[in-house]
Amino acid sequence: MWIERIARWVRYLALAPLLLLSGCSTQGFWLFDPKGPMAHADLYYMIIDVAVMLSIVGITALMIVWFMWRYRKSHGKGKYDPKWTHSSAIEVVVWGIPIIAVGFLSYYTVQGTYALNPYDPTVIKGHAAAGGEPLEVDVITTDWRWLFVYPKYHIASVNELVVPAHTPVHFRLTSTSVTNDFFIPQLVGMIDVMPGMRTKSALLANHVGEYQGFSADYSGAGFSWMQFRTKAVTAEQFQQWTQRIQASPRRLSYAAFEEYAKPYIDVSGKPEYFSGVQDGLFDHILGEVMNGKVWPIPMAMTENMVDYMKEQNARTAN
Amino acid sequence: MLVDLQGPWSPLLGRLALSQIPYENPILAPLFVVVAIMGIAIIAALSYYGKWGYLWREWLTTVDHKKIGIMYIIIGLVMLFRGFMDGLMIRTQQAMAVGPDAAGYMGALHGYLTPYHFGQIYSAHGVIMILLAATPLLVGIMNVIVPIQVGARDMAYPYLNAVGLWITAAAAVLVMASLFVGDFSHNGWFGIAPIFELPYSPGVGVDYWMWVMQLAALGSTLGSINILATIVKMRAPGMTWLRLPIFTWASLATNIIALTSFPALTVALALIGFDRYLGTHFFTAGLGGNLMLYTDLFWLWGHPEVYFVILPAFGMLSEIIPTFSEKPLFGYVTMVLATFGIAGVSWAVWLHHFFTMGAGPDVISFFSVATMLVGIPTGVKVFNWAFTMYRGRLRFETPMLWSIGSLFLLLVGGLTGMMLAFPAINYMVHNSVFVIAHFHSMLLMIVYAIFGAVTYWWPKIFGFKLNEAWGKAVFWLFTAGTVGVFVPMYTLGFMGMTRRLDYVFNTQWQLLLDVQMLGIAFYSLSVLAFLGLLYVSIRDRAKSRVSHDAWGTTHSVEWMTPSPVPFYNFAVVPHINARDEWSWRKEHGFTDLRPDHYEDIHMPKNTGIPLILGVLTFLLGFGLTWRIWWLCALSLALIIAVVIIRSFDADTGYIIPADEVERMERAHHDRAQAAVELPQAGVPGGVTAYGQGNKPAAKGEVGAPGSGISSPEGSRA
Ligand code: HEM
Ligand SMILES: [Cu+2]
Repeated sequence: MWIERIARWVRYLALAPLLLLSGCSTQGFWLFDPKGPMAHADLYYMIIDVAVMLSIVGITALMIVWFMWRYRKSHGKGKYDPKWTHSSAIEVVVWGIPIIAVGFLSYYTVQGTYALNPYDPTVIKGHAAAGGEPLEVDVITTDWRWLFVYPKYHIASVNELVVPAHTPVHFRLTSTSVTNDFFIPQLVGMIDVMPGMRTKSALLANHVGEYQGFSADYSGAGFSWMQFRTKAVTAEQFQQWTQRIQASPRRLSYAAFEEYAKPYIDVSGKPEYFSGVQDGLFDHILGEVMNGKVWPIPMAMTENMVDYMKEQNARTAN
Repeated sequence: MLVDLQGPWSPLLGRLALSQIPYENPILAPLFVVVAIMGIAIIAALSYYGKWGYLWREWLTTVDHKKIGIMYIIIGLVMLFRGFMDGLMIRTQQAMAVGPDAAGYMGALHGYLTPYHFGQIYSAHGVIMILLAATPLLVGIMNVIVPIQVGARDMAYPYLNAVGLWITAAAAVLVMASLFVGDFSHNGWFGIAPIFELPYSPGVGVDYWMWVMQLAALGSTLGSINILATIVKMRAPGMTWLRLPIFTWASLATNIIALTSFPALTVALALIGFDRYLGTHFFTAGLGGNLMLYTDLFWLWGHPEVYFVILPAFGMLSEIIPTFSEKPLFGYVTMVLATFGIAGVSWAVWLHHFFTMGAGPDVISFFSVATMLVGIPTGVKVFNWAFTMYRGRLRFETPMLWSIGSLFLLLVGGLTGMMLAFPAINYMVHNSVFVIAHFHSMLLMIVYAIFGAVTYWWPKIFGFKLNEAWGKAVFWLFTAGTVGVFVPMYTLGFMGMTRRLDYVFNTQWQLLLDVQMLGIAFYSLSVLAFLGLLYVSIRDRAKSRVSHDAWGTTHSVEWMTPSPVPFYNFAVVPHINARDEWSWRKEHGFTDLRPDHYEDIHMPKNTGIPLILGVLTFLLGFGLTWRIWWLCALSLALIIAVVIIRSFDADTGYIIPADEVERMERAHHDRAQAAVELPQAGVPGGVTAYGQGNKPAAKGEVGAPGSGISSPEGSRA
């Protein structure tokens, strides 16, 4: 029947997308191209895990295919033995292999958890000696922008995170409204950024360069535009950058922040800078949110996004 | 009112207003017209053919577990289609909206869906697929098969069974209502704290989501009580625990999970309800609320739920693979242990859904190792299926194809699950499309098993087989879709793409998003092929009729009763002598199914009350969503009244006299004789259980004592 013929063809087509895999390099594969010890350790554990699991899963898959071939009813070579339903030796093996594999992986998973504990990652400690004094950055997400406060320098930047390379960077993170996820694939894995909460993370960049950072957890209308550039620069460049920002005219007190934190969809992703950031801004915001401060979202806000953007632009222009 | 609501509210209509009907939306308005026309056509057809009475008597008021199961499956398939359409829209949007230069249509900056609509679509997709497609399909199949497999005539509580069905239907109708009246939630199928709080979700979307989930949870909980009671109390004489068919074991484990875990969901959702309706602060960021508590409570149910859906699928594979390997299941006891091992561990791993929430390394290590432990019994199961095939005689009929596809998906999903269980890896791929690909591998594994099971048990329920050629076409098209969508998706996960992006900011992802559209095209073709399969199979049903043992090499109790199964399942409740009872009988020659004597049968009466309860629950859910307080009060009062009234009705059953049973059984057997008899369809002289040579079963052998089944010579009319 014609439908059978179609089925036979599609059968091969079904495998075609696999060809795509062979044509890939690490280009664009952020997870395979780490630029710091955190992301590097993530990759290291991924290789261990996949190597162990793939050897078991791969062999099992081949075994199933072989059984399918050998014991097929029409022309199969295998001997048919309908009484064969139990074998203690095989039982031991089928329980034994997964138990050994899980035991082995458990060792590494615990090791990896401590090595990459975002509150105190030991993989960074090893590198700390090489670089200078760790840098503290406070990360504050609003609806829907990233604000990076450098308390020591009293400066802050929006949509842009600048860090000196070869220097440990410690983050404290909080949000004003809803939960986001802080993620820079080539430097550090995800950590939740929650309102009324403080989480921590840390990174170290081994290479000067620009890396993509973004929010990984859905946070509402402007979420898809919540990216930030991460620039790892040399120590001198970093000094120059802080001085330049310290000279910028816009200042950030809590009162100014309250205005800034109103819902704003940041389609352009243009960086903005503040100087004279109020001392303890991070803790102040945290306290306000814990005491019930909210920045509500209008109903059906982006039902028509083009219109909303016009309105937003008009609102912020004046 | 205790909370500040944005927008108008009136005592009569609550928050409902004409402006909530999206008659201007270029997608929804035409869709509504189509749905309305279809609805009118169905009503007209029913009236024209005078089928209202039939529909009411045979379906809407039925308490027959098989018909209820079939209705569950129909709900599941319809919702599977709706969910697929959502998926198609999500994929199209992401393929269109890549990079800042992508064009925008219909009010969107890029692509054709604004964030507001996109969020609703993926949230509806998740809720529908998990709670209103996969769950009803599985519950439906358990409903149909479990009572027959344990040799019972119905569920322990047939009336409760119908109530569960109609409450699930109410949930399905409520989620469909959100398409045309108001909006659905945008905060994902699992709810992201604190987006669901009023300040961030001021509309009715979250309320719809909450009540849909609540109703679905209620339906599932009622169903699980019923299946548990049926398995524990209704087994036929001789069916000891270690003779229980493996699918029934899986159903037992899965419903224990459901019964113990759904309350966590109910509580979590109820607390959101308090926050949104009474202004409490359970999950708010401020004023003493704790938003992490929600995530904790939700996954306390959410993780067991994923095992609630996968264990029945495992059970299905354990039935199908032996049949088409012509060999009993390898390692039955191990399989049962592994099933309960998985169920047991599934309560202790939920934290792996939020490793990134900042718990300490001790806690994270514990849950990571616990999660990996699940891999052990899962691996054992895969090995046992493989060794069931070993030394078998494999026939690749459609159910077997689905099962093998399912097995490979399980391998892929298991591998990636073990990666996600590793916190060091999880930090990089949590919330990424890699997770999406992982759980779609797993859920598709379930869908494959479901398609396999439907094809496998179809002849049992309807008396004829589905068309093989079309069935295979559906399988291969669907598989092309699966590979086409999910191989690129895994790859995108390694490239760092995260989930729920309405606008895709990295143009490097474009190519693979386009490839996924190809997969979607194959999926769409498979939907058409599935409709073709149904059409062709039903058209040619006369040619594909089967008698009780449709596949010739089946092994469990459900194959010992005529196909289609009479509404009383068994004229005489069989006595169970062995683990694979039907194989045992074939081996020992007790293959004639006519009992030597008939008895009166007691059956439950039909009742319209479950349907009424379903309608009232829908009204309650709708009233709560829109805050129409009088409607809530009225429907709640009516629900209570109906339940009380029904509890005074003592006359809920009736007796079918023995001679009536005999007459019906004769008719069944005559029909079976007339059917195109398959060569090895379990008739004496055919291929016996597992091909112990082709030794013809000795005629005239009398069934075991109390089996109620014998084959007296000469009685074959
Ligand atoms: C070998 C067994 C499995 C392991 C080790 C495993 C592991 C995991 C882990 C660690 C996550 C969290 C990923 C994250 O969000 O970062 C996850 C997510 C998920 N898994 Fe599995 N899993 C397994 C089997 C299953 C099965 C059988 C199903 C059921 C169908 C399933 C369905 C899901 C779903 C639905 C999610 C994500 C839910 C969401 O975030 O929307 N998994 N799995
Ligand atoms: Cu889980």
